[in-house]
Amino acid sequence: MNIVVEFFVVTFKVLWAFVLAAARWLVRPKEKSVAGQVCLITGAGSGLGRLFALEFARRRALLVLWDINTQSNEETAGMVRHIYRDLEAADAAALQAGKGEEEILPPCNLQVFTYTCDVGKRENVYLTAERVRKEVGEVSVLVNNAGVVSGHHLLECPDELIERTMMVNCHAHFWTTKAFLPTMLEINHGHIVTVASSLGLFSTAGVEDYCASKFGVVGFHESLSHELKAAEKDGIKTTLVCPYLVDTGMFRGCRIRKEIEPFLPPLKPDYCVKQAMRAILTDQPMVCTPRLMYIVTFMKSILPFEAVVCMYRFLGADKCMYPFIAQRKQATNNNEAKNGI
Amino acid sequence: MVWKWLGALVVFPLQMIYLVTKAAVGMVLPPKLRDLSRESVLITGGGRGIGRHLAREFAERGARKIVLWGRTEKCLKETTEEIRQMGTECHYFICDVGNREEVYQMAKAVREKVGDITILVNNAAVVHGKSLMDSDDDALLKSQHVNTLGQFWTTKAFLPRMLELQNGHIVCLNSVLALSAIPGAIDYCTSKASAFAFMESLTLGLLDCPGVSATTVLPFHTSTEMFQGMRVRFPNLFPPLKPETVARRTVDAVQQNQALLLLPWTMNILIILKSILPQAALEEIHRFSGTYTCMNTFKGRT
Repeated sequence: MNIVVEFFVVTFKVLWAFVLAAARWLVRPKEKSVAGQVCLITGAGSGLGRLFALEFARRRALLVLWDINTQSNEETAGMVRHIYRDLEAADAAALQAGKGEEEILPPCNLQVFTYTCDVGKRENVYLTAERVRKEVGEVSVLVNNAGVVSGHHLLECPDELIERTMMVNCHAHFWTTKAFLPTMLEINHGHIVTVASSLGLFSTAGVEDYCASKFGVVGFHESLSHELKAAEKDGIKTTLVCPYLVDTGMFRGCRIRKEIEPFLPPLKPDYCVKQAMRAILTDQPMVCTPRLMYIVTFMKSILPFEAVVCMYRFLGADKCMYPFIAQRKQATNNNEAKNGI
Repeated sequence: MVWKWLGALVVFPLQMIYLVTKAAVGMVLPPKLRDLSRESVLITGGGRGIGRHLAREFAERGARKIVLWGRTEKCLKETTEEIRQMGTECHYFICDVGNREEVYQMAKAVREKVGDITILVNNAAVVHGKSLMDSDDDALLKSQHVNTLGQFWTTKAFLPRMLELQNGHIVCLNSVLALSAIPGAIDYCTSKASAFAFMESLTLGLLDCPGVSATTVLPFHTSTEMFQGMRVRFPNLFPPLKPETVARRTVDAVQQNQALLLLPWTMNILIILKSILPQAALEEIHRFSGTYTCMNTFKGRT
């Protein structure tokens, strides 16, 4: 009898969830504040990581930037300091204009910290995390963004590169989360952002290791979300970011069918990060950019495999990485790409 | 140019309708089964659980040779004896698929002693059944190495020869947890999701390779030692699968060149729901169906 009651309660909650989801569409929820909170971004030296850093800086978060490339990491830090100075100048101007004190945020001594860290190495992550705790304080927002791609066909790819792709793109999430989640659990406050890819929702040929790592990340994120839910830690939020191909140069040369490209061009990194930031600040569990990805995911779940393949072929998605791999090979022959990984 | 594009635009929906219809009809008509009498089968994790039943099933269907890989010699020996008594040539090698060098060494030994492998079944898996914070780092890594990277190494070892011979099949015994994660098995869910993507990517890549194909099997909870103690809340609605059932359906899929197999069929509903429902609704359904607590009683293999 209890089960029957529970069943109706669950049914009601499911329907209510639809209502709430629809309401979210109509009325954008208010964005939460991250001012003064510590935000850690892995892979902050380039691509989406840098843009995330700039967006969080504009919202007055204290930033901790991790990257294996010290130089590009410092470049990002320089940009962040520039934004901080702009914010301080704006504060000073507002103060001089004689506005009431309540309207001005208390000066929170905005700072940015940089650490050189190879997130693929467990010891490296734990040591650097310890330093962060000592020098900065407890991390409130963790953005797992670091990623690499080997750009080789499976049978031609050196084993070490396969392992490295898995370690940086997937296993790193274990270490960073294990390093910072305990404190979040203690105070029941925090946000874990996982930057995956549309290749974490559907595969394509030629990049088996990258697809495997991104699917793994999605599986990890989903399992972690459920664990937090099961532990009743509602103060800790999670957001999964699944952008379509982003125009950052990581997948230079990748292309779908040329007739369809006008409809589905590579994403501008800025747009992608803005969409992700909105999702993060409104505690949205998942964001696919563009929204067409939701439809593709749905189609994939209802169609038989052969029909999915047919759809992929029509879109040119099944072989879209082959030009990228060819270009990568050419670049390697010209000694261009050695610094890329 | 424009006409070609318009032609593709018209043909595409027709193709979709045809393929959906074909799939529907295929579920009704008796399937055409491929002959296994010239195939040599290698099964990782072949000493017990589903692996053992797979070996038995392949032997019953007339496979020429069977090779078992595993980490426990006692189980391998028992299964090998059983298969030999069925009249099929059977060999075993002790191999940890999570160890790359070991895989390549044993692959070489298999080629020398047994010959070319034409059906590779990646069945080896480990699960620790703990939450992230309770998991030991080395245990997390071991799951990734055995369940995911192990498939990379075995595939790299045997696929080139299959492509040369233009005859081969790669099978992955995965889990429905690859597509629908649960708490308490975060290492397993992550590694199986990775393995699923690897197989999907490989399957797409092999579409243009004649004679070589791939099959991914996603069974629901199966009554084996590996998930001993795991408790399903509604066992009458969702009864745990028998390993012999999984094995039989897997070999069916191999003989029919089926790319993807969800067991039981109702798991398709789960996947569809997951792509429709908002996250909060999914969480309520998970809670009601007991997935939040099913690993609390997990014991696994000692």
